[in-house]
Amino acid sequence: MVAGLELFTLPQQLVNGLLLGSIYALIALGYTMVYGVLKLINFAHGEVFMLGAYAALFASWALGYGPGGHAGQSSILNLAIMLLASMSFCALVGVVIERFAYRPLRNQPRIASLITAIGLSLLLQYGGQIFLLNGVPQSISGNVNPFPGQVSISLRGADKVALAKAEELKPAMIQTQADLEAQLKNEKSRFDLSPKGEALEKKAQEAKRSYDNLIDVANAKTVGINIGYGKIIMFVAVLGLMGILTYLVMFTKRGRAMRAVSHDFSASALMGINVDSIITFTFILGSSLAGAGAMMLATFQSGTKIDPFFGMAYGVKAFVAAVLGGIGNIPGAVLGGLLMGVAENLVDWAGFSNYRDAIAFVILIVVLLFRPGGLLGSAKVEKV
Amino acid sequence: MKFLGIRLGSIALGLLGCGLIQVIANGQNSFIQLLVILAGLYVTLAVSLNLINGITGQFSIGHAAFYQVGAYTAGVLARSFFDKLHLHPLLWLVLVMIAGAIGAAIAGLVVGLPSLRLRGDYLAIVTLGFGEIINIIARNQETLGKAYGLDIAPRISSVFMVWALAFLTIAVCRNLLKNVHGLTFLAVREDEVASAAMGVDVTRVKVAAFVLGSAFAGAAGALYAHALGFISPTNFSMDVSFIILTMVVLGGTGSITGSALAAIVLFYIPEKMRDLHPMPVSSIVAGAIAIVVTVAVVKRVADNFRGSRRNKTLIIIGSIVGGVVIQLIFSTILRGVPSLQQMVEGSKLRLVVFAVTLVILMLLRPEGVFAHHEFSWSWVKKLLGHADIPETEMSA
Repeated sequence: MVAGLELFTLPQQLVNGLLLGSIYALIALGYTMVYGVLKLINFAHGEVFMLGAYAALFASWALGYGPGGHAGQSSILNLAIMLLASMSFCALVGVVIERFAYRPLRNQPRIASLITAIGLSLLLQYGGQIFLLNGVPQSISGNVNPFPGQVSISLRGADKVALAKAEELKPAMIQTQADLEAQLKNEKSRFDLSPKGEALEKKAQEAKRSYDNLIDVANAKTVGINIGYGKIIMFVAVLGLMGILTYLVMFTKRGRAMRAVSHDFSASALMGINVDSIITFTFILGSSLAGAGAMMLATFQSGTKIDPFFGMAYGVKAFVAAVLGGIGNIPGAVLGGLLMGVAENLVDWAGFSNYRDAIAFVILIVVLLFRPGGLLGSAKVEKV
Repeated sequence: MKFLGIRLGSIALGLLGCGLIQVIANGQNSFIQLLVILAGLYVTLAVSLNLINGITGQFSIGHAAFYQVGAYTAGVLARSFFDKLHLHPLLWLVLVMIAGAIGAAIAGLVVGLPSLRLRGDYLAIVTLGFGEIINIIARNQETLGKAYGLDIAPRISSVFMVWALAFLTIAVCRNLLKNVHGLTFLAVREDEVASAAMGVDVTRVKVAAFVLGSAFAGAAGALYAHALGFISPTNFSMDVSFIILTMVVLGGTGSITGSALAAIVLFYIPEKMRDLHPMPVSSIVAGAIAIVVTVAVVKRVADNFRGSRRNKTLIIIGSIVGGVVIQLIFSTILRGVPSLQQMVEGSKLRLVVFAVTLVILMLLRPEGVFAHHEFSWSWVKKLLGHADIPETEMSA
C-alpha cells in the first residue's frame, strides 16, 4: 500500500475537511454576496478576515488571556464577547472600505475598482506589518477555549483476537516487571547490573515488547474520529450564522431588496430601492461573517498563527470555493466551501501535503474549463 | 523607400541606445550595473504586461509567474547544456532567451485558454493562483532546487542584451498597434461584443495577447537568471507581480511609453527607499493622515469644482502644500505619544508605497498618468507649437 493512503484515517480527514470547509464557506459567503451585488471581486476580503482575527486576538488579551496573563477557566461568555468584537470590527472595516474606496469608483470602469481592491489588500497587509505588533505572528491562547476535551467516535473497535492475546500476556509482563523492580533494590546502580539483574531486565523488556506489539496490531485496525468540543461549537455556530443569513436574505425586506439589486442593479434603483444602503448592508453581512470565521478559526484551530499576511491564502481559497459553488449564489458558496476544505484534506491524506495550497487553483481551472457557472450557478456566464 | 529608411533608422537608433547604456554602465561598479539590468528587465515586464492589461483590456495579476517560468527554464538548461555546447556567452543568452520565451508562452497558453474564454475577472484570480502554483512546484521539485533555488553556472550579465530585449518588446507592441492584428486587440478592449460581431475571434485575440505578453516575460526571466547567477522561489513572489502591475497602472493602461517610464521611476524610488533612515511610527501615522486629507480635498475639487482651470490647479497645488504642512504638524504632535515611537526601517515601507500609489491613482486618475497617450515626436512638436502633423493616438 502507498505509504500515505491509509484508509483508516480517511474518516478523520473528511471530518477535518468539513470543519475547515465551514470556515471557507463563511468567507466565501462574503465574496459571493459582494460579487452578486457589485460584480466586483473584493480582493480586500481576505484582509478583512485577517483584521477579524486580530480583533479576536486583542479581545482575548483584553479578557486577560494575553501573554503573561493567567486568567482562569474561560466561559462561553468570553467566546461570545470575542465573536462580537471581531464581527463588529470587521463590519466596520467593510463599510469603511466600501464607502471610501469602492463607492467613488462605481461609475468608473470595473477594472478601476478591481485595482483599488488589490491596492487595499496590499495596503492592509504591508501596513499591518508596521502597525500590528510589528508583523510578529501571534496566536490566541489555548485557554480561551472553555471545553478543551474531545469526543471520540469509534467506527470500528480494536481487533478483538489480538486484544485477547495481549490480555493473556499482561500478567506475565507485570510479573517480570515486578521481579525486575525487586531485583533493582538490591543492585548498586541501575546502569551496572549483576548477571542476575541483567537476565531479569532482558526478560522484562521482551515481555513488554511482545505485549506492545500485540496492542499495536489490535489498534491498527481501529477506525475512529476525534473531534474537539471547541470544533463542535464552531460548527454549530457556523450553522447558526448561516441560518441567520438565510433568514436575513430570504425573509426580510432588506434581503429581498438585496436580491433585487443582485438581479438587476439599475432596475432596482428605478424601483425605489436605496442601492447605496443595500450595498452597505451587503458589506456588513459579508464582512461580519468573515470576522466570525476568523475568530473561530483562530480560537478553535489550535496553533493558528495570526500575521498580517495570513488572510491572503484563506481569502483566495474561499474565492475559489465561491466560484466552485457558482459565484453570486449563496447556497453554492457554502457547498463550495465545504468541498474545498474536504479536497484540501484529501490532498493531505494522499501524502501530497506540500501541494495542499495548489489544489484550490487546480479546482479553479477545472471548474472554469468544464462548468464556468459553478456547481449550483446558472449556466449563463458570459462566454465569448 | 522612406518607410524602409525610417524602420532601419529606428532599429539602428535603438541598438545604438542599448550600446550607449552598455558603455555608460561599463564604467560603474557591479551593483550599479545590476540595477541598470534590473531596470531594463522591469521595462520589459511592464511593457509586456501592458500588452495584456492595457492594450487588450484583460486583467492579469500574476505576471511574475511567467518571469519565473522563463528564469527556471534558463536555469535548468544552463545546468544541463552550457558546459557541453561551448557556445559564445552572448549567443547562448539569445538561445536561452528564446527557450525561456517558449516555456513561458506554453505556460501562458495553459493558463489563458480556460480563463480567457470567459468574460469577467476570472483571469485575475487564475493568474494569481498560477503564480502560487509555480512557486509551490519550484519549492518541491528536486530538479528545480526546492526552496533553496538554483545556482546558474555562467553568470552572464549583459546590459546590452537586456535593453535590446526591452527595445524589442517596445517595438513589437508599437508595431502591433499599427497593423491589423494589433487593431483587433484594441477592438477587443473597447467592446468585445461589437468586435465579435465584426468578425473578430475574441478568444483567439485575447489568448494571443496573453501568450505574447507571457513570452516576453519569460525571455526577461531567462536574462534575469543569467544576470543574477542564482534564482530562488522568493525572487518571484506575489510582490513582484504587484510591482509590475503598479507600473502598468501608473503609466496609463494602454500607453507603451507610459509603462516604460513608470517602470523606470517605480524601480528607482524603492531602491532609494532602502537607504532611508529608520523613522518612528508617529511620522508614518502623520503621513497617512496628511495623505488622506489631501486626497479627499483633491478628489472633491476634481469632481465638483466649477471655476476656471487655473483656479482649480491652484487649489490642488494648495491642498498638496497643505498636506505637507499637516504632515509636519502631526508628526510634531505625535512625537509626544510614547506608544508610537518604535522605529520602522525604510525598506518595510516599499510595498506600502506601491499600495498607496495604486489606491490614490484609482481614486484621482483611474486612467493613469499618461492615459492612452503616447510620448511621440508629433506630441513634442505639438508642444513646441508645430501642430501641422495630426496627433497619432492609438485609442479609437
